[in-house]
Amino acid sequence: MKDPEPTRPIHYITSVGLAPYYTETSTETSLFSASDDKPRILLMGLRRSGKSSIQKLLCSCVFHKMSPNETLFLESTNKISKDDISSSSFVNFQIWDFPGQMDFFDPTFDSEMIFKGTGALIFVTDAQDDYVEALGRLHLTVSRAYKVNPDINFEVFIHKVDGLSDDHKIETQRDILQRANDDLADASLERVHLSFYLTSIYDHSIFESFSKVVQKLIPQLPTLENLLNIFISHSGIEKAFLFDVVSKVYITTDSSPVDRQSYELCCDMIDVVIDFSCIYGLTDAGSGCAYDKESLAIIRLNNTTVLYLKEVTKFLALICILREESFERKAIHEVFEVDTSTQGAVWRPVSSSGSNLSGLKYAALNGGAV
Amino acid sequence: MEKMSRVTTALSSNAISGRTMFCHLDAPANAISVCRDATQVVVAGRNIFKIYALEEEQFVEKLNLRVGRKPSLNFSCADVMWHQMEENLLATAATNGAVVTWNLGKPSRNKQDQLFTEHKRTVNKVCFHPTEVYMLLSGSQDGFMKCFDLRKKESVSTFSGQSESVRDVQFSMKDYFTFAASFENGNVQLWDIRRPDRYERMFTAHTGPVFCCDWHPDDRGWLATGGRDKMVKVWDMTTNRPKEIYCVQTIASVARIKWRPERKFHLATCSMMVDHNIYVWDVRRPFIPFATFEEHKDVTTGIVWRHQHDPHFLLSGSKDSTLYQHMFKDATRPVDKANPEGLCFGLLGDLAFAAKESLISSDVNRKPYPGGDRRYPIFFFKKPDPTEQFAHVSSALSVFETDLNSNHMDWFVKTAQLYLLSGKPFAELCDHNAKVAQELKRPQVSTTWTMLRIMFSDPANLTATGPNHNLSSKLGTLPLMNSFSMKEMGTESRLERSKGESRPDNTHLEPGTSHISNNNEENEETEGSEGQAEYMFGDAELDDDELYSMEHDNQTVLLSNTVLSLLPLPNRHEAEVTCLTPIESFSLISISQPLYSPHLPGSFFCPIAREMLSYYAEQGDVQMAVSVLIVLGERIRKEIDDLTQEHWYMSYIDLLQRFELWNVSNEVIKLSTCSAITCLNQASTTLHINCSNCKRPMSNKGWICDRCHQCASVCAVCHHVVKGLFVWCQGCSHGGHLEHIMNWLKSSAHCPAGCGHLCEYT
Repeated sequence: MKDPEPTRPIHYITSVGLAPYYTETSTETSLFSASDDKPRILLMGLRRSGKSSIQKLLCSCVFHKMSPNETLFLESTNKISKDDISSSSFVNFQIWDFPGQMDFFDPTFDSEMIFKGTGALIFVTDAQDDYVEALGRLHLTVSRAYKVNPDINFEVFIHKVDGLSDDHKIETQRDILQRANDDLADASLERVHLSFYLTSIYDHSIFESFSKVVQKLIPQLPTLENLLNIFISHSGIEKAFLFDVVSKVYITTDSSPVDRQSYELCCDMIDVVIDFSCIYGLTDAGSGCAYDKESLAIIRLNNTTVLYLKEVTKFLALICILREESFERKAIHEVFEVDTSTQGAVWRPVSSSGSNLSGLKYAALNGGAV
Repeated sequence: MEKMSRVTTALSSNAISGRTMFCHLDAPANAISVCRDATQVVVAGRNIFKIYALEEEQFVEKLNLRVGRKPSLNFSCADVMWHQMEENLLATAATNGAVVTWNLGKPSRNKQDQLFTEHKRTVNKVCFHPTEVYMLLSGSQDGFMKCFDLRKKESVSTFSGQSESVRDVQFSMKDYFTFAASFENGNVQLWDIRRPDRYERMFTAHTGPVFCCDWHPDDRGWLATGGRDKMVKVWDMTTNRPKEIYCVQTIASVARIKWRPERKFHLATCSMMVDHNIYVWDVRRPFIPFATFEEHKDVTTGIVWRHQHDPHFLLSGSKDSTLYQHMFKDATRPVDKANPEGLCFGLLGDLAFAAKESLISSDVNRKPYPGGDRRYPIFFFKKPDPTEQFAHVSSALSVFETDLNSNHMDWFVKTAQLYLLSGKPFAELCDHNAKVAQELKRPQVSTTWTMLRIMFSDPANLTATGPNHNLSSKLGTLPLMNSFSMKEMGTESRLERSKGESRPDNTHLEPGTSHISNNNEENEETEGSEGQAEYMFGDAELDDDELYSMEHDNQTVLLSNTVLSLLPLPNRHEAEVTCLTPIESFSLISISQPLYSPHLPGSFFCPIAREMLSYYAEQGDVQMAVSVLIVLGERIRKEIDDLTQEHWYMSYIDLLQRFELWNVSNEVIKLSTCSAITCLNQASTTLHINCSNCKRPMSNKGWICDRCHQCASVCAVCHHVVKGLFVWCQGCSHGGHLEHIMNWLKSSAHCPAGCGHLCEYT
């Protein structure tokens, strides 16, 4: 097959081998169904391990960003702080930030209520501190939670690794992994799987790790990934991300490896776009959200790379990384023109994320057609 | 088809030949694989799936496997593998999660054999068992590895990596049942093919995803892994706990890794981001690649050694839609471009120097380094490898220590402390400084001071002190000084020696007077002590060229010195003139005669003095330049441009402060006439004021304390704020305007504030 020609009819390829995906997604209602059983993500860990910092970084409204340094001055959390970012984000989940000194044996601690319906439990440990105590706590937490709800994904963030050298980092991770798994084996909980991530609030590792956590909770991930695969293979794009604008978590990317630099570039691009929108995009009505469906940004880097951001829904943005040559061939340009022209038919009002998904589907399909 | 079924087993029977060559593909490649006899290569990508024959001079397209009018997604390959036992069997991993096998022996155009659609997400890797014909393993983004028996329609076992994406799977060469899998979370797992429930062993190999792994071909149980953290690590899997034995740092994330056949320590890597090159590393040398292939214009996506027993051919596919065959002898060798010498200073002035051994050993005896000795020679030898085209290189590392107790700069400190720069008549200052220099065994400096005194003194002073006496006494002491000057700084000694050697040129022009014969003696002295000089400053042995240039510099100064010393004399000591060379005396007379003045004005010497100062400054003796500048003051200042002066001052002050000569440095600052220098003293002075009422610090605006809201320093006599000089009694701390207090105390002995204290003004 030769290079795709831009003049080909738009809906030509929509039926080729893709129909199953389409029917599959059109029957979906929402990423996560009713709002009261939104999958919860619990943040737990010892006090001062950085839970609230993570929460603030991820969930703070984009228009009031908190810089990593500011999180130093956060007060200790005393009660469970529930952060529901479904109102401002594509990803419908709640983040519960637990105070570090939570006592599981407290009668008021309703583990039934808390762990039922929890999608993921993130345990935050401080890599710069002595983590023996944290590991004990981790074991306790995991065993309690597993008893109530064996479907929880257990994720361990080895946090504050910015202070460690590279060798030390991997050594710490290895050690924690070893001890944690040994503890679980001793308690004959071998079936519990812990995933470990090295994170720091000073770079993008926290966002990337959180992306992984969220991705595990998205049942449509394989479909989305395939669509992006098809999309990029037909349009000369090197890498495509589907970003949640608010939390800078990427919902999906194509299956090629994620490069740390490209990811960081994309995160920065979102920041730039949001900032620009705030400066120039606010209307008189001043709803506070300047980012809307008109949003589109192209950034040319001096290494012949082009970053292309296009909003997909109110909270989703598709960011593509492509070479200048393929950009000049207008492949991607056409794709998005198709998007806007068919919008009336395809993009329904942003009410449920299900329809957004089907919209995305079209974007990808049309991309294939160009 | 006949050609394909022919089996070549050993390399020796059919040696591979070829050259570096490439061919254009229609689309970017994702992966490549060769068949066992190294005659054909399969290229797979999202839009390409072809087989090329490797011929002597070129690639020839053999077969396009991507057939049909509407190619299905099953043709969009992320990975491909050619079976190493069965000539006609290929497997591909499709981006849509399908695992497809292809049978080239099929008579129809479509060679697709089996289709497994068990994975939900992209399959990243397929791998045939090295010895078992029907066993195929796949690793997918969805975190599962599946083992297929090609005689069955579905997978025989599923291995769960527990929701972490699998990036690579590789059957062990050594162990029939074992395979390794690498994961996006940085882990590597070892599995037994018979036990799908749980991994045998898991360890964290990298921070960030592990993209690839490869078992060492000579069943050692070595596993190489490469990850996004830009590292290549080699693990010894035979021990109880996997041990990292080698680690190579690359410049980009490592996407593919392949051990080089027949070379125990070599492996090839490529990156899928940023970097387009293919590197071959010797794992024992982790910082510089052994060889580099730089042909590709876009990232390399697949590498494979052409034959499993031939180390000289590497095939690679790239996103730039080319397929390359690289000859190892055409590779660039980064080592050749690297600088083979290294030099580094230690914290305490130690110096480490590494170079090729040949380079050092030839120099070792002849050229000991100044200020230290070779105490710790350490030798590194690399094992010679006769099969490579490299000359074996051994290098030596030497560490030189500086002698911390060396008194090299003592003269500087002493001079700085003893010099007088002001406070006395000009002539006395010069004399004093000349004496100081002489005591410190620095005859040239001493002479310069004397010279300056003669040049710039008033005639009255000149006659009073009698220059002739001065000169002869000075010259009388010269030889002695010179022989000692060896112990000073290297530059000094060079100066003296070249001076000594330049002398004979002068002397043969001059009729021998008592002064000159003195000079000659001095010469002999110098030359006699040259052995000592050499011992002290082995590397100060100058090349002839250098000597000449030095000589040239020196000669001007020297000549001007000799000439000048004699200049004031013509009037009264006629006989002395004979010691000048004819030309010089002519020029002197031509200037001095028409004037008929008894002596020359100081301004006449300014250009020479200026040159002299620049000379000293350039020789590194900025102390002399600045001292003379201060002592001469107005006489010379206009001659030298302000920036130069400022530069000298700054350097000298900096030096003084390094030696903690604060007082001298302060004096120099005070005496300097450059505005930029004098303000140095003002910049660092801060005055903190406390309120006299509440004893707390005053903010610096206004005269009212912002805490107690009262005027801070009120005169006890007139009750107004004192804005100028404030005098106060240290007994009762009352005070006021200087004038008022003085007047008051004339009339009364008590404090004007009425506290009853008996104040005393001195």
